[in-house]
Amino acid sequence: MSSELNATVVIVDDEEMVVGSIQSFLELETDYRVLPFTSPQAALECLAEESVHTIVADFMMPELDGVTFLTQARSIVPMATRILLTGYADKQNAIRAINDAGLYQYLEKPWDNEALILSIRNAVERSRLFEELAGRVAELELANKELTGFKERWMQAFM
Amino acid sequence: MSEPVVDQTDQVNQARLASLGMMVAGISHELNTPLGAINSNHDVIERALNKLQVILEDEVVTQDELQEVRKIVRAMDGVLRTNSIAVERMVKLVESLRTFGRPDRADVDRVDLHEGLESTLAVLGFELAAITVDRAFAELPLVECYPNRINQVFMNLLHNAVQAMPDGGTLKLMTSSEGDRVRLEISDTGRGISPEHLAEIFEPGFTTKGGRVGMGLGLAITHQIVAHHGGDISVSSTVGEGTTFVVELPLRLPKDHAAREGGNDVVA
Repeated sequence: MSSELNATVVIVDDEEMVVGSIQSFLELETDYRVLPFTSPQAALECLAEESVHTIVADFMMPELDGVTFLTQARSIVPMATRILLTGYADKQNAIRAINDAGLYQYLEKPWDNEALILSIRNAVERSRLFEELAGRVAELELANKELTGFKERWMQAFM
Repeated sequence: MSEPVVDQTDQVNQARLASLGMMVAGISHELNTPLGAINSNHDVIERALNKLQVILEDEVVTQDELQEVRKIVRAMDGVLRTNSIAVERMVKLVESLRTFGRPDRADVDRVDLHEGLESTLAVLGFELAAITVDRAFAELPLVECYPNRINQVFMNLLHNAVQAMPDGGTLKLMTSSEGDRVRLEISDTGRGISPEHLAEIFEPGFTTKGGRVGMGLGLAITHQIVAHHGGDISVSSTVGEGTTFVVELPLRLPKDHAAREGGNDVVA
């Protein structure tokens, strides 16, 4: 449960009933902070302001299709894990696009709550690991910088 | 009855089957979204009930459990809200289908064409997901027609427009009336039709190999239905920019419409 605290999940679908159902489900079963959007454009604006771990987006949306949206989202929050929701009819197009955009996973509509929560938990975990890794890399870089500085001072002192 | 008439009847039946197929596909997709939401909500209610039962088992409610109950209430609130949206959507869909099919409606009736357009759009709903629909509707007088046939015209034209825009685009619907005629313009921003195909587009059996496959028969029927109503249909198109169909109908059916109709079933 501890990894659920402070984790933020963004849900984007132009159908309010889809966003609402997923939100209710996640609120019941998890401690995630859920940010629901029916407009991908509004979601993109919000991403710049928030620390987001996972983004679930519908494929067929009139304003912006899900793959384009998730590709744009990546440049704003590169560490967030991205999941696409697709209807059966657009599955083939979606899979092609998913491969191009390098998404984490796609889920089919109508979705199964158990599969959905498993995917979202894994996705959150994945972006937490990325965050941790980025933190460690930063620590290492800092340590490396300090060592280099120390080495230079040492060289100057003794040579 | 001579040979060609029999062939034509087959074509009409095929076109009707194709039209019915489109409708069924449309309806099942349209139902999928609200059903998906209700299905998920059903699961959420079941989970919530289990949680409540566990909390009530020992008949003592701790502070943590109280927090849990508050969470359940919040989730149930959301479930109720989305369920009512989903149910409302399905009720609207069934209502549209009734308007579209109208088995209770007389063969000939005076109708609001906007109503037919809207119910056709509702049936095509899922196909419109990536498409912006622009309506420029004028005040229209009621039009005397065979409503089911006119809806078939709308279905064919709107379906073709949607098919021409696989990557999305704008579907523009304009209506106007002048004197004793009404005019309907359906424009898409799709791939367009080449001039050589445009010339034969209303011919029965016309199909293109690449572009808009299978539109030929539908459009031949469309043309015939409009002609039987004493109306006109025309098309203009620019490859890469889009296509516009214009349908003009008189407010009253021509006097010989029953003869033109050729009985009950054979429209073409």
